[in-house]
Amino acid sequence: MGERLNDGGEPVRRRPHPAGTGPAADTVDQELEALLAEVLRVTGGPVAPPAGSEGELRAVAAFRAARDAGAHTARTRRRDDWRPRTRRSAARSLRATLSVAVASLALGGVAFAAIGSAGGDPADAKRPERSASASEGRSQAPSLTPSPAAPGTPAGRDRPVTAEDTAAHCRAYERVKDRGRALDSTAWQRLVTAAGGEENVEAYCAARTASAENDGGANGKGNGKSNGTGGTTDKGGQQAGKTPKGNAGKQ
Amino acid sequence: MGQGGEPRRAQAYDGELGAAVARAQDGDESAFAVAYRIVQPGLLGYLRGIVGDDAEDVASDAWLEIARDLGRFKGDGAGFRGWTATIARHRALDHLRRLRVRPRAAALEHEVVMDLPGPHTTHDQALESLSTARALELVRGLPRDQAEAVLLRVVVGLDGPAAARVLGKRPGAVRTAAHRGLKRLARQLGVTDTNGRGVTDDGPRTLGESK
Repeated sequence: MGERLNDGGEPVRRRPHPAGTGPAADTVDQELEALLAEVLRVTGGPVAPPAGSEGELRAVAAFRAARDAGAHTARTRRRDDWRPRTRRSAARSLRATLSVAVASLALGGVAFAAIGSAGGDPADAKRPERSASASEGRSQAPSLTPSPAAPGTPAGRDRPVTAEDTAAHCRAYERVKDRGRALDSTAWQRLVTAAGGEENVEAYCAARTASAENDGGANGKGNGKSNGTGGTTDKGGQQAGKTPKGNAGKQ
Repeated sequence: MGQGGEPRRAQAYDGELGAAVARAQDGDESAFAVAYRIVQPGLLGYLRGIVGDDAEDVASDAWLEIARDLGRFKGDGAGFRGWTATIARHRALDHLRRLRVRPRAAALEHEVVMDLPGPHTTHDQALESLSTARALELVRGLPRDQAEAVLLRVVVGLDGPAAARVLGKRPGAVRTAAHRGLKRLARQLGVTDTNGRGVTDDGPRTLGESK
């Protein structure tokens, strides 16, 4: 591209072509074009057909048929418009620039929105499972993975705390219940309300403690239970996700 | 570009052609015949370069479409050349697709060079030794993009932007293709220019021009 390697910049080449300087001043390309034109077109080449040639008659007949059928009122398509292009191309380039700008804004907005929604995803903690199931089957991903995650997350954090509190309160209740005003404090009131009355507290606590011991200790009661269920649900979700995939792979 | 001998000659008819097209668009069939006679030689030469001996048939098909769609055309005489060349090109490509045959023989260049007499010092001498058939053979021996660029420029008489539009390419790409094609033809013809310098030494001069 752009190489001017030949013997040291000939001024002849870059000169415009004033009339009268003759073919020697013309560029090589133009001389060759002229030569070829002579050969191909003038010297026995495809010469202008005589009036009334077969091709002309056929073309004129087609013209007449189209004219009489009203085809010549057809709309001008872009490829039919060969008017000089100065204004048209300016308008078109303006239009092109604008549409590119609009498109980039629109795409940018979509990308920004996608980033925002991904960042605000409440199931971030479950991301590995989510991406795994998403790769297994796109249609499965939205319905399956959030369902264990959404109830699982609050259960995993809140219930153990409450259960632990309840267990602790129950244990303390045994020691405190006979000591006058201690039961007036908010924590005891809450325990009493949860049990459904002061007389029910012992039964309530007994039930809680028993179930906690079944799960392997008062401390692990809530955690163990909720994690266990969460895990089961997750496995179920993954299996449900895998099954269609296996089928799809076999089909 | 476009100041070469042939484009200038083509432009001489463009006023007449534009007027004939305008009258034809108003329904004058004799004006359409005039336009046919002005355009057909270049169109046929271009088509010969693409489809060879089937050029007449393809041109006939093209003229049916031109006659049908004439009302859609907008532009002057030069524009009409470009528009008709585009239609002819589409018909030619359809034709080639139907044939599923490459239009050119790849080995052509070598044989032709062997046949030619020794180097000429002037174009006139080169011209004398060159028959039309041989010249067409030479052009058809070029890669098709080069052959088409040369033919549209030289035979149809289009300027660079119009040839580029017919080919659906950028003007720069078409200028390059035309230049390469001409350079190769010059080498095959053994042409040297009037300074005695081989034209094949020339770089793609036109690329320096900004468009």
